Amino acid sequence: MTWPAGYGRTVLAEVDSTLNEASRRFPTLTGPEWILARHQTAARGRRGRAWSNPQGNFAATLMLRDIAPMDGGLRSFTASLALYDAFVAATGRPAGFALKWPNDVLLNGGKVAGILLETIGKGGLSIGIGVNLAEAPAPAQVEQRALRPVSLMAETGARITPEEFLELLAAAFAKYEAQMRQFGFAPIRTAWLARAARLGEVITARLPNEEITGTFQTVDEQGQLVLTTANGPRMIAAGDVFF
Amino acid sequence: MTKKNHDADVAFIEALAKLLRENELTELEVMREYGEADSLNVRVSRAMQAPAPVQYAAPAAAPAAAAPAAAPAPAAESADPADHPGAVTSPMVGTVYMQPEPGAPPFVTVGAQVKEGDTILIIEAMKTMNHIPAPKAGTVKRILVEDGAAVEYGAPLVIIE
Repeated sequence: MTWPAGYGRTVLAEVDSTLNEASRRFPTLTGPEWILARHQTAARGRRGRAWSNPQGNFAATLMLRDIAPMDGGLRSFTASLALYDAFVAATGRPAGFALKWPNDVLLNGGKVAGILLETIGKGGLSIGIGVNLAEAPAPAQVEQRALRPVSLMAETGARITPEEFLELLAAAFAKYEAQMRQFGFAPIRTAWLARAARLGEVITARLPNEEITGTFQTVDEQGQLVLTTANGPRMIAAGDVFF
Repeated sequence: MTKKNHDADVAFIEALAKLLRENELTELEVMREYGEADSLNVRVSRAMQAPAPVQYAAPAAAPAAAAPAAAPAPAAESADPADHPGAVTSPMVGTVYMQPEPGAPPFVTVGAQVKEGDTILIIEAMKTMNHIPAPKAGTVKRILVEDGAAVEYGAPLVIIE
C-alpha cells in the first residue's frame, strides 16, 4: 500500500487525545495530516463520552483544511467508507462489515470503530478515528442500548498493528476524498448506501428531545438520515441510531 | 398598543411558531381575547418539509413564518430575530449544543463579551461538531435557541451587538 501523496503523517508514542493534538497543530500545519498515537491518556468520544483505548488499538486524527461549513458532516461518509475498505483490505474479505448512519462501522453487528468530527478555526476539520483492532471494551463500559463492542482480532482473527492499519486507511480515505472533491457527494452517497446496514428496515433515531422510529428509506443529498414514519418522511441531521 | 403588550404578542407568536414546528403542523390559528375590542388574532403557517433538498436552495429567513392575519399586532416585521442586524444564523441543519460537553459551562451567556471567531455554540450534524464562531466582536444580547434544539438552515441563533 502506498502512502497517499500530499498527506502528512505524525506518529506519537503518547498523547492526551489525537483530536486535541490536531487542534494544537492546526495553526502550523499547511496540508492534511494524519496524527497517530500508540497511546491516548484522555481519549474522548461524542459529547464528552469516554472512549476506551487499550494498547494495540488504533487511535488517529486526520486534520483537513479548507472545508466549507456545510461539507464537514459529509466527511462522516468518506471516513466510514475508508474505514470499511481498510477493514476489507486487512481481513481480505467484506463479510460481516456494514455501515450505520452516519459513520459507524459494524462488524458482525457489533461496534468495532468510532468516528468523531470537529471543526477547528476557519475551514479546519478533525476526523478522530478509534478502532478496536486488538481489544474491545467490556460491555459494561458502554452505554445501555449501545451496540455490543467488538474487536477486529476477536471477530476475524486478523492481527494488524495501528501503523499498518493507518497505511490502509490513509490510502482508502485519500481515494474517497479525491472522489468527493471532484464529483461531489453523489458517488460517496451511492457507495455508502450500498454498504448500509438495515436499509429498508424499521430503525429508531434518538434526538435530544425525541425518538423517531421509521423505515430507513435513504440518506439524502445533504447526508441526513431519512426515515419514513406514519406522519411522513423525517430528515434527521443529528441523533443516535438504534436497531 | 403598549410596548409591554407588543413584547408579549411577539413572545406568543414565537411560542406558536415553535409549537408548529415541534408538532409537525402546517398551520395554527389562535384568537386571544384581552378585553373588549382588544384581541389578537394570529395565524402561523409553514411550508411542509419536502423530501427533496428544496429547503437548501435559498437561505430562508426563518424556520417558520409568523404572520399575524389581523390587526392589532404589528409584530410581523419586528418579531423575526433573523432580520436583526446582529443576528447570527445557522449555516446548517442540526442540533444545537450550548456547552462543549454535558455539564460544562456554556460557551456564552447573555451579556457576555465575545471576540470575533470565539465559539458561541456547537451545531451537530452527521456526528460533526461544528463550532459556530462569533462573526464579530460584541456583547451577546439574546440567545434564541435552547440546548438540544433542532435548528434549520438560516435559523437565528444569537444576537451579538
